[in-house]
Parts: sequence; C-alpha cells; structure tokens
Amino acid sequence: MTKDLRNEPAIAFRAATRTFGTAVRAVDGIDLTVRRGETVALLGRNGAGKSTAIALLLGLDEPDSGRVELFGGTPDRAVAAGRVGAMLQEGRPVPRVTVHELVAFVARTYPAPMPVAEALALAGLGELAGRRVDELSGGQTQRVRFAVALVGNPELIVLDEPTAALDVEARQEFWHSMRGYARRGNTVLFSTHYLEEADAYADRIVVLDSGRILAAGTSEELKRAAGGNLVSFDLAGGPTEWLGLLPGVTSYEVRGDRARLRTGDSDGTVRALAERDAVRRLEVTPVSLDDAFLALTQSPLTTLETVR
Amino acid sequence: MITAYVRLEVRRTLRDAGFVISTIGVPVMMYLLFTNLGDGDDGAYKKAAMVGMAAYGALGAALSLGTGVAEDKSTGWLRQLRITPMTPRQVVTGRALTGSVVVLPAITGVLVAGGLANGVRMAAWQWGAVAVTLWLGSLPFTLLGLGNGYRLTAQTTGVVNVACNLGLAVVGGLWFPVVLFPDWLRTVSELTPTNRFAELGVAVTEGTAPGAATLVVLLGWAALFGTYAAVSYRRSARTV
Repeated sequence: MTKDLRNEPAIAFRAATRTFGTAVRAVDGIDLTVRRGETVALLGRNGAGKSTAIALLLGLDEPDSGRVELFGGTPDRAVAAGRVGAMLQEGRPVPRVTVHELVAFVARTYPAPMPVAEALALAGLGELAGRRVDELSGGQTQRVRFAVALVGNPELIVLDEPTAALDVEARQEFWHSMRGYARRGNTVLFSTHYLEEADAYADRIVVLDSGRILAAGTSEELKRAAGGNLVSFDLAGGPTEWLGLLPGVTSYEVRGDRARLRTGDSDGTVRALAERDAVRRLEVTPVSLDDAFLALTQSPLTTLETVR
Repeated sequence: MITAYVRLEVRRTLRDAGFVISTIGVPVMMYLLFTNLGDGDDGAYKKAAMVGMAAYGALGAALSLGTGVAEDKSTGWLRQLRITPMTPRQVVTGRALTGSVVVLPAITGVLVAGGLANGVRMAAWQWGAVAVTLWLGSLPFTLLGLGNGYRLTAQTTGVVNVACNLGLAVVGGLWFPVVLFPDWLRTVSELTPTNRFAELGVAVTEGTAPGAATLVVLLGWAALFGTYAAVSYRRSARTV
C-alpha cells in the first residue's frame, strides 16, 4: 500500500480526545482537516481547548483516543523532519542569549532554514539582533518567538495566540509578515480570541468551545449558520414572552428596552412584528461575526435564549 | 546540531554570574582558606586539599547544571526545543556535554590556585592528568544534576542539589580528610562516588594508577545516575 504523501493534508485530527484528570475534557473528539496552503484560525474563548489542541498537533502531548497526523505521519516525525515551526504561548523568554544567537541556533537545527537575517527582518527584529532576549519588551519578545517559528522555513507554522502581547500597530505588522509567509504556499494555523483577526486573516475559521468544534467555515458561512439577520426594535415596556414564537426567530435577547431577534427569515419576522404594531425604531442588520460567535458558543441559559 | 546546542548552552551558563561565583569562586576561596588557616607548611596536605577542592568545584558545577535545566523547564525553553527538529536524545546529550564543558573552569580554577598561590609542585603530565581525570570523573554528577533538573521543579531542584552537593562532599571526604572519620563512616565514605572521584585525582598526584575498585564504584554510580537522568527526562517529556 503506497500513499502519495504529497497529497496528504497538512493537519488531520481524527476523533482526537484529551482528558485531564477525570472530568476535564480539554479536547473532546475533534475532527479537522487542514489542506496545504490554507490559513486556518482556531477561535475560542480562554479554556476552549485551543492550546491543548495545539499541543496535540505539535506532538507535545498525545491524545487519549483518536489520532493527530501532520503530513500523513505522526507529529513527532513531521517535527523531526523540520516541516513544522511553532510559536508557543506560555513561558518567559530564554535567559542570557541574544536575539541573533537564539534565532541562529534554531536555524541550525532545521535542514533548510532561511537566512537568519531574513527571519529577523521578517519579524521586524533587524535592529535588536544584538540585544539579550530577556531584556526585551513583551511585544519584542513576541517577535522573537515569531522569528524562531519562522527561521526554519517550515511548511506548517503553528501560532498559539500570536498577537496577545502586541499593540495595534505591531499587530498589523505581524499579520503583514504572516500573510507574506502564507503566500509562499505555506500552511498556517493560528489560535486567537480576537474575532477580527480570524475574520481578516484566515481562509477558514474553526470555532472551538469546551473542547469541541462548534462550527467551521469562512466567516460568511459562520454568519449564515448563526441565523442570517438581526431584527431589533424598542419594546416600549411591552411583553417579551412571545418573541421566541415569531416566524423565523432562532433566538432572542432583551437588552434594556430593546429586543434583538436572530432570524433566518427576516421578512417573515418583520411582517409578524408589523401585525402586532411592534416596529418602534425597527432595524434589520446582517449578523456580525461577533454575534455569530456568541450564538455558537453561548449556552442557552446565559443572556441569550435559544428557541427550538 | 549538537555542537550548536552545546555552544549556546555553554554561553548561557557562563553568563550566569551566580553560577560562575558559586562554582569557581567558592571552591577557590575555600581551598585557599582551609590550607592557609594553620601556620604549618604542609605541602602534602595542600596538594591533597587541592585535588579535593577541585573535585568539590566540579561536583558543584555538575550539579548546578540541573538547576539550569529546571529553569529551562519553567521558562518553556525545553518545550520550544521539543518542537525543533532536535531529538530528545540529542537534547539530553547536548546538555550532558554542556555539563562536561562547564566543570572545566571549576577544576582549573582550584588547580591554578594550588600551583600559583600555594606552591604545589607536580610534574607537568600530572597537572594535565589530574585535570583530565577529574573532568571525566565528574560525569556521574552531571547525570545526577540532569536527573534532578528534569524531574523536579526549579525550586526543589535547587534545594535537592545543595543537599546532594553538601552531603556527598562531606561524606565523601572532599572537605575534611577521611582519616579523621570514625571507622563506620569511613566505610560508607568509600562507597560514595565523591570519595572515589577524589581518589582518582589523588592517585594521579601520587603517580599511581587508580585502583580497580575506584573505577568500578564510579562506573556503577554513572550507570545509576544515567538511568535516573534518562527516566526523569522521559517522565518530564509528558509535562514539559
């Protein structure tokens, strides 16, 4: 049985599970395939299982059941072959080395690295090459991590909350370099809890919550999946029990005096509202990714009430 | 790949002022202090103490390597290393080699103090031989330090290393000559790796070959500590 390894996906999770202790299912049966050249965002709040999923995919941890494969083989094999670079989230900078020493060393461990100067330039570290890593600011440290992930010229780059410590400007520079790297045909997987980042920089968004994949697709698809439109209007003190019974409404939310209805059939919803003369300051807007995310991840018992 | 790693880690270790002071400065100071407190001019004692203190310095340097490893674990550096193409075996080997490089300054520091400040005289080959035997003989302690570092947290590693260091040094007779010990303690002492380690050096200063028993005891400890280091690394791999 021969497999053409060039056609294997970059990343494949197959029913992967990882449990900590007896109760916490950090990763709970994930199935996910990332094609080569794709840029995918893992989106989820803190504790959704993003970091555990990344640890599994880098071979830092092993699934209790199911499998995780990189380029058709084990993560360990892909890592040993130098096909993977990663920027880990936790940890303090390595003490007592300069930026150049560190990046040059990591480059030496890869079979076909890019020139160190190029990696430093891509990460915006050119002028800091001689500085000690443990003397840099948080944002600069983050760039060092990026250079470390990049310098081996890996086919797959994995970034665990890469922009967490960056200010707005640094964040934009970062994504600029990242895009450049992706455009060379490389595969990128990043985790984030910033919706805008997932929306702007990923080809595909995977929404993770409580260790499960709730939805996956382009941001357009996610918005559609969450119920196409938002209809909002002033209640003027009127009752709210009937809101969930309106045609097309999948969920609703009352904030102060304003009702916000998520609906798959905005025409039908608006018509029904008009019949009840409940059209004070009526507004129909497409669902934002924010709303889609909330709708996908929020449990029915919190601020949002789900019908059906 | 390993040489690049060793070079990086040696640099990092020697830039650690605390490490340099405690592993080179302290043994040299202790040696000069102990040998110059009395008013006698006992050349044999100065020579024996020189070897003992060089051994003690090497022991301290080898063990404190473990503290560095534990620190690397807590900063996430070990985790970052695991996602480079370096294999775990290469990482551990590189670390052990780093250990053997950084014990050298401790050994040479005390030898230089003996030769220059205390006027210890030996044949040129003996100086070289003492340095090399002590250097090779420090391997078991490097492995013990690594095992502690991979197994324990940064704080406990520090404490355990100090305990190992003092315990092994005192019982092994690196600080005070074994002849001062009661009989039972002398028997225990002869089984410690530190005692045999110093004996290696003493044998060379006296121009004799180290005894077979010494080599057997040292190799036995090296095997034991080596297994400890390997098992600890494998265990830490899950949690690193």
